[in-house]
Amino acid sequence: MALLRTVERTSVRAGVRPTRLGRDFWLGYALTLPAFLVVVGLVAYPLGYAFWLSLQDIKVGGQGQFVGLANYARLLFDRDSRIYGLFWNSVKVTFLYTGGALAGKFIIGMVSALILNAQIRARHFWRTLLFVPWAIPAVVSAFTWRWMYNDVNGVINTLLTNLGLVDRPILFLADPKLALWSVLIAAIWQGAPFWTMTFLAGLQAIPRELYEAAAIDGATPFQQYFRITLPLLTPVITVTVMLSAIWTSNAIQYVYILTNGGPANATQTFPLLAYHEGMQAYDLGIASTIPLVFFPVFAVLIYFLTRRMLRQEG
Amino acid sequence: MAEAAGPLERVRPAERSLGLWLARRNRGYYIIGYAVLLFLALWTLFPVYWQLATSLRSDVDLFSSTVTLIPRIITTEHYEKILGPSYPFLRQLRNSALVALATTVISTLLGAMAGYALTRLRFAGRTVLARLLVYAYLAPGTILFIPIFVMMSRLGLRDNLVGLTLAYLTFTVPFATWMLMGYFRTLPIELEEAALIDGASRWQILWRIMVPLSGPALVVAAVFAFTLSWNEFLYALVLLQKQEVMTAPVGLSAYVIGDQYYWGQMMAAATIMSLPPLVVYLFGQRWVIAGWTSGAVKD
Repeated sequence: MALLRTVERTSVRAGVRPTRLGRDFWLGYALTLPAFLVVVGLVAYPLGYAFWLSLQDIKVGGQGQFVGLANYARLLFDRDSRIYGLFWNSVKVTFLYTGGALAGKFIIGMVSALILNAQIRARHFWRTLLFVPWAIPAVVSAFTWRWMYNDVNGVINTLLTNLGLVDRPILFLADPKLALWSVLIAAIWQGAPFWTMTFLAGLQAIPRELYEAAAIDGATPFQQYFRITLPLLTPVITVTVMLSAIWTSNAIQYVYILTNGGPANATQTFPLLAYHEGMQAYDLGIASTIPLVFFPVFAVLIYFLTRRMLRQEG
Repeated sequence: MAEAAGPLERVRPAERSLGLWLARRNRGYYIIGYAVLLFLALWTLFPVYWQLATSLRSDVDLFSSTVTLIPRIITTEHYEKILGPSYPFLRQLRNSALVALATTVISTLLGAMAGYALTRLRFAGRTVLARLLVYAYLAPGTILFIPIFVMMSRLGLRDNLVGLTLAYLTFTVPFATWMLMGYFRTLPIELEEAALIDGASRWQILWRIMVPLSGPALVVAAVFAFTLSWNEFLYALVLLQKQEVMTAPVGLSAYVIGDQYYWGQMMAAATIMSLPPLVVYLFGQRWVIAGWTSGAVKD
């Protein structure tokens, strides 16, 4: 409905009655049909099909057998099944991974945006530079980080050894205590520019007079930040956090390429577990069930995002 | 922070004319600001530099006991090898280009059509469709990849670039439509009315008036569709198992999972793969940033 109201408001402003927009059913359907087919055939149908698969015991290339909610029960409650431990581990890892990545991207994005919004020299140059990681394919940066983390001749270990900080290489990706952090740093490197970009756009929309008035009243930069910047940026922050939460938790490249879920499943997020179950253990039923268990979380996020995005349009 | 000390000295003279707004009169904040900026630049550029430097080093240099920050000898041997006949990389680049271009053309076209109808025409179900498109755009690929894998297998479209293109439309079409809707809405409706009075059909209006006026928005929609599909990994990983149909990202990952650690060649391949999106970004960034700020883009 928000969309409809927006359109009407625009027309009224332009001095045109809404009906002049054109009540052209056939052309409307003809023009939207291809996009509609994509949404129904390639998104809605597969979503329904995923649910149907999750109700079956089905292997790659085999016939499915309807088992009701047995896959869900095995994942969530069956302590004796192999998948139970793997699943709950992936829940924990996914939350740690997503939370850590969001925090890191928030900090780097915020600091970058504040600096880029300041009157620095060659602002355009710095902005272009800081956004470069976004333009690089995630697979490429995952490999670059893997190479930098390498224990033999990896640049990070070499630097640490040369500076005398460590005597033997740190196993960034093979040490179960370190692996998740190492993967996180690479993911933050790639993901932060998106946050910088949205925060910067948000900052630029804040009227400068507010800061001038605050400065006259003797507010310190920190007071200005917490009393003006942060409150006015909250809507932007909310949307960015929600979007990034969906994309980060669902990204598979970093965990797949840097560690492939190891060591000892320390970096196995749920998409990677689903991938392993489906493509390597050939269990399509379980592989469909794993992401669907997370579906309610995403559905809530998507619902709120859609509402906000459609409202924003106005 | 030893690296930051030098350049900072040089920055100082500019101080009077350009202060950080958050503390225009405070020298302390100013210096901290530039120090942080330099750190961010270093953090951003180092991996890119390292990738490039590795791709240009000889293997002897790469695996010698002391690693230098600057390659001792610059060589293009890794590039020659990776593009040569012993790797399927050239073919995989071509596959990537085909899929990305097909996805870009189809999604920009469908997006312009649907975007126009949803902003300018009235028909039952319009708002529902607009909402569905946003849902579809946000629906995570991890929920869809297993059913799409099964569907494509049944249709005989596994190991097939058409199947992959179809999978990519799931996120590029909703995004392009969404973006173009936002843009079409900002165009003055009077132009269309004038054209209608002159006897133009709506179909003509779309192609003769709306589309030519929407150059920048179409560029952004196309840039995003291209970048997203060029970089995509999950669907390609699942749907493509034969080396000759793989796209470059999956091809690259297959080189390592196969336990080959020829980092020079891998980084050469990685550098070549990064170029198209990087070039597109550098040339289209004015529009890309404008499009990004609409707040509906994938990271």
